[in-house]
Amino acid sequence: MSAATNTFKGSQGISRRSLLRGAAAFGSLTAAGSLAGCSSGPPDGTATWSMWSSSPEEGQVWADFGAHVEERLGIRSASQLTPSDGYVTKLDLQLVSGTASLVTALNGWLIPTYAARGAHRELDDLIAADPEFDPEDFYPDIRSISSFDDRTFAIGFDVAPTVLYYNRTLLAENGVEPPHPTEPMDWDTFRELTIQLSGPDNQYGFTCAPSIDDLVSWIYSAGGNVMNEREDASALDAPEAMEALHYVIDLFVRDRVTPPISNLVTENSLANFLEGNVAFMQNGPWQVVNVRGASFDWDIVPFPAGPAGSKPRVSGSSFAIPAAVRGDDLELAWELLKVLTSTDALNIYARAGRNNPARLSAGTAFAPPPDNLSVVQRILAGEVAGGHPFDVTTNWNQVRQLLGQDLPRAFLGQRGVTETIDGLTPRLNVLMRQHQDHIRAGAAH
Amino acid sequence: MAVETPIATSGSPPGRPRRRGRPSRFGSETFAAWLFLTPSFVGFLIFTAGPVVAAGVISLLHWNLFSPPTFAGLSNYTRLGPDPTFWSALGNTAYFTLVSVPLTMVVSLALALLLNHGLRRMAIFRSLLLLPYATITVAVAFVWIWLYIPHDGLMNSVLGLVGIDGPAWLISDTWAMPSLILMSVWKSFGFGMVIFLAGLQAIPQQLYEAAKVDGTSAWGSFRNVTLPLLSPSMFFVIVTSVIGSFQVFDQALVMTNGGPGSSTTTLVMYIYQSGFQNYEQGYAAAQSLVLFAFIALITGIQFLFQRRLVHYDI
Repeated sequence: MSAATNTFKGSQGISRRSLLRGAAAFGSLTAAGSLAGCSSGPPDGTATWSMWSSSPEEGQVWADFGAHVEERLGIRSASQLTPSDGYVTKLDLQLVSGTASLVTALNGWLIPTYAARGAHRELDDLIAADPEFDPEDFYPDIRSISSFDDRTFAIGFDVAPTVLYYNRTLLAENGVEPPHPTEPMDWDTFRELTIQLSGPDNQYGFTCAPSIDDLVSWIYSAGGNVMNEREDASALDAPEAMEALHYVIDLFVRDRVTPPISNLVTENSLANFLEGNVAFMQNGPWQVVNVRGASFDWDIVPFPAGPAGSKPRVSGSSFAIPAAVRGDDLELAWELLKVLTSTDALNIYARAGRNNPARLSAGTAFAPPPDNLSVVQRILAGEVAGGHPFDVTTNWNQVRQLLGQDLPRAFLGQRGVTETIDGLTPRLNVLMRQHQDHIRAGAAH
Repeated sequence: MAVETPIATSGSPPGRPRRRGRPSRFGSETFAAWLFLTPSFVGFLIFTAGPVVAAGVISLLHWNLFSPPTFAGLSNYTRLGPDPTFWSALGNTAYFTLVSVPLTMVVSLALALLLNHGLRRMAIFRSLLLLPYATITVAVAFVWIWLYIPHDGLMNSVLGLVGIDGPAWLISDTWAMPSLILMSVWKSFGFGMVIFLAGLQAIPQQLYEAAKVDGTSAWGSFRNVTLPLLSPSMFFVIVTSVIGSFQVFDQALVMTNGGPGSSTTTLVMYIYQSGFQNYEQGYAAAQSLVLFAFIALITGIQFLFQRRLVHYDI
């Protein structure tokens, strides 16, 4: 042994053996700590629920929800909040590893995807056994969105149709009367207005994202759909859908009334509208809370009426119970789900301006501004214009991915609409057949 | 006749140090080495070898994550052949690798040579040039999206100053992949530069002086002294860059989401889509193992060439 080491031994009083022993002990402690960390989590009997949350304002709403849960159930509430971008991936991993919360929030378009794969449990037996729970208090559209194969897999917390936002200040500056608050414009009128309101100095008539999620409202309003009635083939090449595609893409390519598309990922109609130089934006009332910060006067009106009328997509979000939840946990999960979707909880949600609540009894809590906000509930109730539940497949992720990559070529004028759809149809048909396989598999669960 | 060696001897074999008795396995430095290696080894087993074995098993299953898996045999592998997206993704990945790796090498080497030639305040420059490599790819990608905006982005504004009408970088079939490559080269040259700089500083100055005495030109000196002696560093950078390029994912996801069309869909992005968007874990695992085989094959070929092209001796 070298002198240096001897000196070290002598002066510090630590031998190599004791050093190694210490390292081993430290390693054991670390491993034990890690294992303890892995197994730690809320104690049994805690009301655990997961939700996406991407801003402090959203976080505050969910904190208020948590307080409401604790007050109503008298137990600890533990919410798992994840930014919306990573929410689904995290939820997938939690579901597969058995670490998901008792109740999980789901965007409506994902419900068929999860239901067909057996990720969440059917709720009809729980609803039937619970006289306190009144499904009739929920808008029919959210009940449809939360079902798969005529079975209920989730209970909604918000629901809303796409509406048309308009910049009242910009219209007034250009001598244009505001649109009628309840009577939807027809497509020709809308196009003329967008052309009239576009001009030099970066002023545009309209903005929407070049994606299928924004296109479907036009397709429904033309009487078409993404898939045929049997949901086993693409219907984007049907005359109705083609009319809608041509109409919207012409606004981009021929009429040039939209802000230029700068990239395929972060294109954002809300950001365009908030610039103050865009007259109309299609979007959901879930953006009301963000548009309230605009530096100009604005309002909302029903979606423009096509050949089949005004039929914007109606979207919503719900709470569901993972399939692995059983026994006492299931009882608690159902109580928790009822509290999270109760009128009181949805009043908190709507008063914060997050979105239109899924319950009729909480509807009035979603209050102006904007002045015409009540049109949202009137559309859902079928009193004004109309709405169309967002029809999705059990592999909507793939449909969206495929269309999201290929449709922008048409929006950019790089390819004609017919050529684009001709290229997409065979691949969409494959996905629709796959969707049928998933439905058959889902029926077996 | 052979002379029998007694079992117990008082002496040690010639040329070996004397030892007092039989070395104890648990008291030796071997034990210490194993003890310190164990965390890494356990980590390797759990986080590297385990997942590779698991991927092998999963690739033989149909598994959507939530329902019980069913045996698929080799169908996940045979499905790869007729899948045009897989081949397109592989082609895109190869394109990315074939262009980005040589470009990165050239830029890294050029900057390393510049820094090695007595640039003042070299440490500052070295740190600044290493910054892109140390920055998170997603953050860099968002900045580059902004630079690439077609109409009034910085890139096209600069090109406009010299009379060039710049393309719609990220939304053009032709330019989307070159745009990703350009960003990736900028992001990763710092790594190669540091390795090359270390390699350059290890080359003895006497060799350059000898070359100078022989009347060798600067280019001749670079070709006959620098390049051969830098070949181990180059080999290391090439191998790691090729492996990294075959795994390109985040910048393509953030900047183009694989589009337009599938022109920037890389193999790892397709694996991610298959596994976590399409819920086809078996198919994603089969693709992962095929990618692993490609990388292993290419790395093996590189090691074969190494014998002839890399010089470890001065």
